Amino acid sequence: MSRRPAAPPRGARTQRTRSSSQLRAWLRHHRAMSADSARRLLRHPIASLLTMLAIAIALVLPAALWLALDSARLLDAELDASATLTAYLESAVDAGEAGRIDEAIAAQPGVAATRLITAAEGMAEFQQALGLDDALARLEDNPLPASIVITPDEPSPEAVRSLAGELEAMAGIDEVRLDLAWLERLRQLAELGQRVALALAVLFGLGVLLVVGNTIRLAVESRRQEIEVVMLIGATHAFVRRPFLYSGAWYGLGGGLLAWGLLALGNQWLAAPVRALAASYGANFSMPHLGLIGSATLLICSILLGWLGAWIAVSRHLSEVRPR
Amino acid sequence: MIVFEHVGKRYGGRFDALANLDFRVHRGEMVFLTGHSGAGKSSLLRLIMRLERPSRGRILVAGHDIGRLHASQVPFYRRQIGVVFQDHQLLFDRSIYHNVALPLEIRGMDPREASRRVRAALDKVGLLHRERALPIELSGGEQQRVGIARAVVNKPSLLLADEPTGNLDPQLSADIMALFEDFNRIGTTVMIASHDLALIARLRHRTLRLREGRLVADEEAA
Repeated sequence: MSRRPAAPPRGARTQRTRSSSQLRAWLRHHRAMSADSARRLLRHPIASLLTMLAIAIALVLPAALWLALDSARLLDAELDASATLTAYLESAVDAGEAGRIDEAIAAQPGVAATRLITAAEGMAEFQQALGLDDALARLEDNPLPASIVITPDEPSPEAVRSLAGELEAMAGIDEVRLDLAWLERLRQLAELGQRVALALAVLFGLGVLLVVGNTIRLAVESRRQEIEVVMLIGATHAFVRRPFLYSGAWYGLGGGLLAWGLLALGNQWLAAPVRALAASYGANFSMPHLGLIGSATLLICSILLGWLGAWIAVSRHLSEVRPR
Repeated sequence: MIVFEHVGKRYGGRFDALANLDFRVHRGEMVFLTGHSGAGKSSLLRLIMRLERPSRGRILVAGHDIGRLHASQVPFYRRQIGVVFQDHQLLFDRSIYHNVALPLEIRGMDPREASRRVRAALDKVGLLHRERALPIELSGGEQQRVGIARAVVNKPSLLLADEPTGNLDPQLSADIMALFEDFNRIGTTVMIASHDLALIARLRHRTLRLREGRLVADEEAA
């Protein structure tokens, strides 16, 4: 039916110009369809906004949890760096001997710094921290032993544990406490939180697929006649699918931007009380931000989810929409 | 151009819509397909358009066995055929111009070249002055002419029409048929399904007559 060009030497060039013009045509159709699908969305601004809002809400929850965990990780690193051991001296040890023990510990390998807290100093700190001046003042003897706070060179749990063992063997030391147990518990909690966040992200991602899929399904349904006609006159599946994929991507982009806005808003709203709370613990803690990479990830994920949701919906319906 | 070899089409395992069809349409021919409604005219056209595959036999169009076309090749096959539908199948949300441009858009033709071709096709059917109108603003006869412009804008070598004069009065029907004859005169193979026997008799072209899915007569132009 199609007549082939008669002169074979020109074949290669014809082929090349044809494929480059095909590429131009392909790009032209992409441009046209992206603009056309955006116009269709804008034609029903409220409906489009509602769909995007549904996507945004589905994205905000896992994103917020992820942010919270991220800040917990930062906190964790800070705690790691501040991991210390406390060596409590036997109560019989006097101040001079305590000073000698302090020097001996400072000379140990793996010890970065030491700080001697005498019994009196310990009492003062205790009073200040608890605000129990009166009750403690009634005590006749100071029940607290002198202690030495040791900052290790290496904050890893294994190094700290072996250092503790060595210190415990020294004369004059009653007990070495390491505050690792709660650190480990915190880490386990963070691990649990991460898994919960991942599960939520997967669930809510599926939610986004369903929201977009359902919206696109309705769009396909309303343009059924058009799809049938273009398929009758030789449109490929890709051609039919394209405007809907762009719609899905636009929904995803809109949802992602809204989610980003909601996160920023939530951040603003929570920043003041969080700062006050952190200050009351004497911590310098600022609200976590998405940052450039986080924002880009959020938007890319939302666009991809929208695109994928549309792809699934259109493909399912292409097999049903057969030209009459 | 079109070769049917022992073609049968059976629906639902029992009903034979078409049975043992054997005929050949040569390049450049103009052929009418007649018969009562339900005789199988539409089924036959659907087979040629590759909307359905034959249950038996094979169909060659321009030398290709279209039953063997892979699903991904079907759109490209359809682009070589112009089809005019009884119910026009126009898109009512876009102008006449864009309706006619649709096949070229699907092919990815350069918009300037496409615009030249669309205007030529609209001019041919006498509707160039209505290019900005919406299909709903046009009469039935005009809508059918838009459908014909869309079918020929691709310069297909095969033009199929299913009851193209179905709802038109005799004068408009004659005009539409004259258009088909014009396209046939410049070398397009034309196949028209119609039950307007009076009109067909006047036009003197080869006529294939179907009855209950069988070819009962193949009359050369008198």
